[in-house]
Amino acid sequence: MKKAILYFSFFLFLIAACKKENLPVDEYTLEIPKGFPKPSIPENNLPNADRVELGRRLFFDPILSRDSSISCASCHHTDKKFTDGLAKSIGIENRIGIRNSPSLLNVAYQPTMFWDGGVPNLEQQILAPIESHFEMDFNIIDVVARLNNSESYKALSLKAYDQLPSIFSVTRAIACFERTLYSGTSKYDDYVYNKNLNALSASEINGMNIFFGEEGECFHCHGTYLFTDNSFKNNGIYLQYQDSGRAHITQFPSDVGKFKVPSLRNVAMTAPYMHDGSFATLEDVVEHYNSGGKAHPNKSGLLLPLNLTTQEKIDLVNFLKALTDEK
Amino acid sequence: MKNLKSISILFFAIVLIATSCKKENLNTHQILDFHWHSMIGANEAAYATTYTSNGVNFNLSGWRYYVSNFTLIKEDGSEIKIADKVFLIDIANDDYSLDSVPVGNYKGFKFIVGLDSVTNHKDPTLYPTGNPLAIQDPGIHWSWNSGYIFMMVEGKYDSISPNNTTPNKEFFFHVGTDEFSRTIDFSNKSFSVISGEDKTIAIEMDLLKVISNVDLKTENATHSFGALKPLALKIATNWQSAFTVE
Repeated sequence: MKKAILYFSFFLFLIAACKKENLPVDEYTLEIPKGFPKPSIPENNLPNADRVELGRRLFFDPILSRDSSISCASCHHTDKKFTDGLAKSIGIENRIGIRNSPSLLNVAYQPTMFWDGGVPNLEQQILAPIESHFEMDFNIIDVVARLNNSESYKALSLKAYDQLPSIFSVTRAIACFERTLYSGTSKYDDYVYNKNLNALSASEINGMNIFFGEEGECFHCHGTYLFTDNSFKNNGIYLQYQDSGRAHITQFPSDVGKFKVPSLRNVAMTAPYMHDGSFATLEDVVEHYNSGGKAHPNKSGLLLPLNLTTQEKIDLVNFLKALTDEK
Repeated sequence: MKNLKSISILFFAIVLIATSCKKENLNTHQILDFHWHSMIGANEAAYATTYTSNGVNFNLSGWRYYVSNFTLIKEDGSEIKIADKVFLIDIANDDYSLDSVPVGNYKGFKFIVGLDSVTNHKDPTLYPTGNPLAIQDPGIHWSWNSGYIFMMVEGKYDSISPNNTTPNKEFFFHVGTDEFSRTIDFSNKSFSVISGEDKTIAIEMDLLKVISNVDLKTENATHSFGALKPLALKIATNWQSAFTVE
């Protein structure tokens, strides 16, 4: 009897061990900020150390561009909260793009990609800058060919996705890396989630109340833990838009001039502002909203003149600065 | 004696089975192929050749288009929808296969130029290399809006004229977005699929008919969006009449 139990246990152990071998991912933990939910992740791209490492290397590698001069990091600088400090980004051969580079922090939570929401997920997103003539001006097939000439990329792709570098492994790896980018440890978070009442100054608290209250009404579009609801809104910057925004995708006239509401986390470090970087400072932005914006027919009805006092404007800007990640 | 009888019966049975297996009138399906010609007027389309449309010389550097959602209409009017068959028609290749279809008499068939709105927005990175919906080189997919270009025509036209000068300026017709898929109707082009024989239908598309009312000198660019949409509509409207089934 003892022998039978022994053999049976050994048998179970073998099965269990085999099962572990078949698991494509180890228990990789995403460092999600306090108070944030888990982002949704496709089943075929669960994170592990190898996938994140492959994605990280690709993210910083200009091999993705035709003349090997531009990488993802060229427009998403780590020291500028993954933006580039320019009104419009610059691609290969100094070609100027059409829109402002958005931050990639918390991108895992975005339901659509780009200012106009043209792409539905992170996995497909990288195709666009790679193909764009004023960004990387290349194509994913040639990128994959280059990677297959690299022993280290071949090894890493085999470890991460059990295949040589391919369109699948490249797009998935970069998405995997991007799902490790979070921002949720600002003074505001310390105040709210850690209940540290000393985290914000009186001015910042006043600004917070304006932001979340009737004085500013900012929270309607810039609310939630992400400081955006990811909806498409026209905020009355122009009477006529050169860039039709969401309408570029949907072709609905009612979508002209609507752009995805950006997150305000780290906004103090991601100037200039708006889809075309046409606002240089936070003071300019507050002044714009205080005015109620220009009378474009698609302008959101949520925009109205605010009649803020000089001090209230200062407090509001101070609160926005308190959304900067301390990390 | 008993053994000889058994062996004879067995031998006879084997012969009977073998010969009856050879009979072909039990096939319920046969392959339906298309011989799909890309034409410019009376000629098979080729790159680096100069053609003329409405008095303007032009040459071609690219012409590809998607067809999908084939429907076969049986004699009794019922329809067989062929799921998941997409062709990316390329002038370099004339042979496309619908694989197995039921044997029988058909009144005709239909298909669409382009893709249905579900397929049009699928993730192209999930198709294996070689699949017509995988990322192509040159590309025929708009990564920025996650949709395919249904028909892509590119080349050069002669902007100077009179019409004996070399094509010098580029033109491009990228027709796509859900609303520009078009059903091509050959529901009265009858054919039969006979047991024991694969079937080939010969079909051709004439580019000159696609641009029959287009003036290349003034209408030479569309990507289907915004101000360039009307030209895409003009082109898509010509598709039905550009096809001929032999």
